[in-house]
Amino acid sequence: MISDYRCSVRTPDDFDDFWGAVLDEAARIPLNAETTPLPLRASDELETFEVTYDSLDGVRVAAWYCLPRQRQGRLPAVVFMPGYQSDPAIPKDWARRGYAAITAAPRGKLRSNAQFNPGYPNLLTHNIIDRNTYSYRGFYIDAWRTIDYLLTRPEVDPERIGVAGSSQGGGLTITTAAMRPEVKVASAGAPYLCGFMDAIALTATYPYQEINDYLRMRPHSRADVEQTLAYFDGISFADRIRCPIIINIGLQDNVCPPETGYALYNAIGSENKRLYAYDMHGHEAGRYRHTAVITDFFRRYLQD
Amino acid sequence: MTQTAVPEFSRYWQHALDELALYPAKPEVTLLPMRCADYATMYSVRLTGSGPYRLYAYLSIPQGAGPFPAIYFPPKYQSVLEPIPQGAANFLRSRFVTFALAGRGQRLSDQPFAAGFPCMLTERIDDPQSYIFRGIAADCVRGLEYLLTRSEVDAERVVAIGNDMALITAALRDGATHVVCQPGLFVDTIASAARTGDYPLEEINDYLNLYPDRKDAVRHTLGCFQLSNFAPRVRTTTLLMAGAPGSLLDAAALSSVSSEIQGEVTVRESERSSYKDGIYQEQWLAREFGFDEAILPEHWQ
Repeated sequence: MISDYRCSVRTPDDFDDFWGAVLDEAARIPLNAETTPLPLRASDELETFEVTYDSLDGVRVAAWYCLPRQRQGRLPAVVFMPGYQSDPAIPKDWARRGYAAITAAPRGKLRSNAQFNPGYPNLLTHNIIDRNTYSYRGFYIDAWRTIDYLLTRPEVDPERIGVAGSSQGGGLTITTAAMRPEVKVASAGAPYLCGFMDAIALTATYPYQEINDYLRMRPHSRADVEQTLAYFDGISFADRIRCPIIINIGLQDNVCPPETGYALYNAIGSENKRLYAYDMHGHEAGRYRHTAVITDFFRRYLQD
Repeated sequence: MTQTAVPEFSRYWQHALDELALYPAKPEVTLLPMRCADYATMYSVRLTGSGPYRLYAYLSIPQGAGPFPAIYFPPKYQSVLEPIPQGAANFLRSRFVTFALAGRGQRLSDQPFAAGFPCMLTERIDDPQSYIFRGIAADCVRGLEYLLTRSEVDAERVVAIGNDMALITAALRDGATHVVCQPGLFVDTIASAARTGDYPLEEINDYLNLYPDRKDAVRHTLGCFQLSNFAPRVRTTTLLMAGAPGSLLDAAALSSVSSEIQGEVTVRESERSSYKDGIYQEQWLAREFGFDEAILPEHWQ
């Protein structure tokens, strides 16, 4: 049964120590956030800002931030996580629903690539044999620091923060919900970065194909790759999640194999979790129907 | 209000093509071992477009004796250039020559101009001569020209797959035998944008909201890019991928395009499933190119 699928990844014994040290390092770096109005992207109903902040390795990270102009009191907030190769969207749709909404552009994305730019393809395998310099070590921190940014904002209610995204955004949602207790609700679609080593055997499509390309050139590195990825696999993070969470997958997903979606779902620690598996759907994972599900789910936990 | 062609439409594009012809492509082909497979070899290609402007592309050639049918991927509306599209079976490269071009402003073709996303759709939009998509359209043509110089390519089976730029390429330059086009940018752009809050069309709303006095200039520029005005020049067999019924660019909205294409046209309305829509496209292409079966990614088989 696909719903019982278990991925091969095993959480490293020193997983908590590793990420504890990374978080300690990040905590010593002041955010130094700047928030700049963008009149071009604003309207009568919305304010839009370009945000930048500091992150690991001295990388300056960019984000889009939107607010409804009409607001009373503090707002609930949503972090919208970006896909792998798509350009981060300006989250106007969430702001129109009454949220303070931010979309991060972690290192390597446009506007965050002055100091780090491995490119696409390449990000997935950049320093993949070394957990201490692997691309996603900083990339995850860049994404998680959107929460720190929200906590600096007087218009944001720190008790009502959610996180959402699809594909890589789904994977980032998993790690953020796991590592940031401020997250009160989460929605992850077609989660990428979960079950890496299974995914590369289950599919030969990009972006996971980058790892197959790498191992074809360097077959002797397989053990090192596997060891590194265990620290970054969403399934290794999943049992830390305690907030309400929904997952949506497409059973014909040609990018992130649905088997890995089930394995992730089964590993999530929250008792309040639900999986929406859309048959006859690919990597969009039933987005057209599911958008309303996400909207209602966030409204229930952040707005009602 | 439907966008109409500006009077100088034909002259505008002839000038763009004449300018492109001034610059030899000067291709520089380099093996990319990391992206090779047992069944295909991958190369990077650098070549010159109008301006002059140096462009970047991925070229994959199947193993074995050709010629092979070819898939041309003109620039998408995103910063990233994909060797082949995300989610496509990598094994497609065993059957097809694939050629994916980064237009000016995209990653790897971003020297000296690096585009912003959002931003690209309104980049210098006040003036049709300097509008960025004039150069991008020329880049698309240059890419097709280069692909057709490859001896490995079966010139009887060449498909351009992409957004509006796939159809524009086929309109401006003979050589593609088939087109798969999913329009999103240049179908009554101002009116379409007014009906959505989604990017990239939201860029037009943003721009006109901040600069309302520039609307006539923007409309004039977009008149040179109205997809329905390219359609009469398209003689290829075409698959038009429309939005789902009732959506912004559904079959009805695209009728001004589909009705004017001179080649055989199939209009496929989305079922709001990338699986169903993707299967349809792959099977359509396999049939058109004479294959019994499409090459599909694992979870579509």
